[in-house]
Amino acid sequence: MGYTIAEKILARVSNKDAVKAGDEVMAKPDFVIAYDFPGYTDVIFRQMKEDFGIDKVPDPDRYAIFIDHMVPAATPKEEELHIITRDWCRENGVALYERRGIGHQVAAEVGYAVPGAFVVHFDGHISQLGTFGTLAMGIRRNLLEAFVRERVSIKVPATVRVNLTGTLQKGVYARDVFHHLVRTLGPASCRFQVLEVGGPAIEQISTEGLQTITGLAMFTGAVTAIVNPDKARLEYAQARAKKDIEPVWSDDDAEYAAVHEIDLTDLEPIVVIPPTPANSRNLSDYIGIEINTGYLGSCASGRLEDIKVAAEILKGRQVAPGFQLNVVPTSQEIMAAAGRAGYLSTLAEAGAFVSSPSCDYCFGRMGTMTAGQRAVSTGTLNVRGRMGSPDSEIYLCNAATVAATAVEGKIADPRPYL
Amino acid sequence: MALENLKGRVAFIFEEVDFDVDQIVGVKNIKIQDIDELAAAAMQAYDPAFRDKVRPGDILVGAGNFGYGHPHYPPMKAMRHLGIAGVVAESFSPGYWRGEISMGFPQASCPGILGLVERWDEIEVDWDAAEVRNLTRGGSLPMEPLSFADRSMLEAGGLVGYLKRPTAA
Repeated sequence: MGYTIAEKILARVSNKDAVKAGDEVMAKPDFVIAYDFPGYTDVIFRQMKEDFGIDKVPDPDRYAIFIDHMVPAATPKEEELHIITRDWCRENGVALYERRGIGHQVAAEVGYAVPGAFVVHFDGHISQLGTFGTLAMGIRRNLLEAFVRERVSIKVPATVRVNLTGTLQKGVYARDVFHHLVRTLGPASCRFQVLEVGGPAIEQISTEGLQTITGLAMFTGAVTAIVNPDKARLEYAQARAKKDIEPVWSDDDAEYAAVHEIDLTDLEPIVVIPPTPANSRNLSDYIGIEINTGYLGSCASGRLEDIKVAAEILKGRQVAPGFQLNVVPTSQEIMAAAGRAGYLSTLAEAGAFVSSPSCDYCFGRMGTMTAGQRAVSTGTLNVRGRMGSPDSEIYLCNAATVAATAVEGKIADPRPYL
Repeated sequence: MALENLKGRVAFIFEEVDFDVDQIVGVKNIKIQDIDELAAAAMQAYDPAFRDKVRPGDILVGAGNFGYGHPHYPPMKAMRHLGIAGVVAESFSPGYWRGEISMGFPQASCPGILGLVERWDEIEVDWDAAEVRNLTRGGSLPMEPLSFADRSMLEAGGLVGYLKRPTAA
């Protein structure tokens, strides 16, 4: 029997010839990534010194910190957290990326999505580096282990292989594909496993779209997601790579926990209704629900193709009176490209509020809703209170649906606009 | 080092699959720092008299994929403050599992547990036998054994204690 890409990567970083699902190994992450967040990085930095007597990380090139939450700071306390982060990075010689965009996206842009690499973060959405054949896992507070030891303890996960087939219809995007996966396979279908996405239909999904799918993997229960890299994604990633690593691919006879085939041909746009990411429904059943606000952004969506389709829908139109549309490109690089293409001016002319990259709209620090309000959102999550009041509601959908809904002030099907 | 068995009453059964633990305290209370205040908010939506009934050593029982969503730490901090000693569920969501094991809070994955116990039954989680027993009504079910690292973390009382031990590899 052959090996999965995840097993091959974990074998290399564990200094073993081979590992199989279920093996417990001590693995050396190629990169240890975090964003600064109160109770996480500030505590890790303090614990390193006070509990473990570590004044400096021994191998600073393996670490990277992003300041992407609380950007810009709204209170002195938030800015104090950023100061702690800046000071720690300077003292340790660790790379700091501030105001470059949402870290999970920027991590790929600046070269941490190295094909074949093993990356850890405390946040699970780092899984989107899997688009480039990187094994990237959110390990929550166990990230402390990666700051105080060279290796982290990992149980090699089994892999669930999903082969996408068929042809995507107009108005159906990667976002819909992911939510359809959750609906078809179930929110626990990949529990403690790796979601490996492949099949002929991924040819129709852009790199950005694959970042959306892999980035949301945790809502299938997966510990991460991965795609065997193709030429285009290898070229993107290797041109920027911070480390020289030999890429690997799953063997044809790799052993999977399950193999699923999902035909996308009849897939319609999806809406995920509150209050859980498990609630995927056909958008057509929810048309007409009154909506107050729209958010196009986040590490899951908010990339160039999302902004482009929103601009196409809103060109020559206006956001409905009283509707608040927030458009937040995922990174500065994306924002600049969207500016050059004219999308941002189109969106601004339509009445959208266009903001610089920040994680803050996704978890309700900005664009906050009060009780009784409803949002359509391309954010990551729709649990109660995610975007403000626990008595507000979030409907997750693709970027085109956010734009069409902004025009009508109620949940709208984007397809007639395309 | 031995990991002590959990032995206590089933203080509550969360029957909802994919249960979002934040609901235990309610999302509006998730940022409460004061542990007494947080514990007072816990379980209000499920059983307002919970804190009067619960005893140190009691255990929570959950359904499949317990802890799904974006679980935060305060709900289980509140539960520990009220004396809850661990959680036994049909299965767990990985993010929640990792988070609570790193806090040194015992979790046992036991498929079929909802059919084995009723509220207030006394149960025992036997780590070495990898078995959950109903001491009130009899009957037992196998549970999934802990990984070496998870077990070591529970024995050490959590992540920091675990990391202070010498490494095996």
